[in-house]
Amino acid sequence: MHDESDSELIAQAKEDPEAFGLLYERYVGRIYNYIYYRTGNHQDAEDLTARTFYRALKHLPRYVDRGAPYSAYLYRIAHNAVANWHRDNSRRQIISIDELVMRTLKRKGPASLAQKHEEQALLLQAARRLAPDRQQLLILKFVEQMRNAEIAEVMGRTEGAIKSLYHRTLVALREEVPDMLNGQVEKGTGEDDDE
Amino acid sequence: MNEKRVGEMLAAYADGLIDRSEAMKQIDATDEERRRLAVLFQLTERLQQNMQPVQPSADFLRSLGQELVDQARRQIQLSNRLRRAALIGAAAVGSLLSIASVVGAILFVVARLRARAQGRAVHAPTA
Repeated sequence: MHDESDSELIAQAKEDPEAFGLLYERYVGRIYNYIYYRTGNHQDAEDLTARTFYRALKHLPRYVDRGAPYSAYLYRIAHNAVANWHRDNSRRQIISIDELVMRTLKRKGPASLAQKHEEQALLLQAARRLAPDRQQLLILKFVEQMRNAEIAEVMGRTEGAIKSLYHRTLVALREEVPDMLNGQVEKGTGEDDDE
Repeated sequence: MNEKRVGEMLAAYADGLIDRSEAMKQIDATDEERRRLAVLFQLTERLQQNMQPVQPSADFLRSLGQELVDQARRQIQLSNRLRRAALIGAAAVGSLLSIASVVGAILFVVARLRARAQGRAVHAPTA
């Protein structure tokens, strides 16, 4: 395993192509996951992941290390790539693999499995309707399993702001999937019950 | 329950699900608080279950990695070539300037000598 810090690797990568390869290996999984959960299919995730790293490489000679994690920079490029992708595809109906799997299972698969996939697809579709920063927060928290402090660093916010954003994100998501959650408990959000 | 407290509890609950069980203990939520936030806790559990990391294909990872390293090599070579060309250009301009200044100095001295010789000829006593 390579112990060099991001800053060291970035400095080396300006002279040594293998160093950029190490940066790529360090972050490709995270960026791929981020894009996959934003787009919902592997094909576009591969395409946009490649674009993200090519863009990062192109701008490497002008990259100025200001102490922020390199991952934050890569997430920003990935975020822009996904935004462009959404804009380009806004007029076409996109059917993700998740959706196709769900439809197939509905027709053919065992009922319990189909139901599980359906729930997953519904939840992920609902998550994709959230604002981009909220989607990013969910991905960093659950897929990347980052701590709040790390998420704050990547997203350029305070830890308190991240917790607050997470609360608002859950409330918004709950509105999107009201049928999925058992309604046995009163719909407390903590927002309307200040004491 | 204020928003800050709710935010702390929800974040701690999510952390608790992700192998950080100490997070929820530190918050020390009351039964009433747990009851009020039960739906959001449930949603957190669903997210944790359904948002698992995915693995890109090994072929994709390998080929993209190789392409990027090749591209990085080309980029560095091009940048080195441009730097060398700029250096040679600057050296050439410097050399031309040096030659031009030497030629200029020679012309200046010759002109001064001529002017002095002409001056002497004008002021020379006529016999």
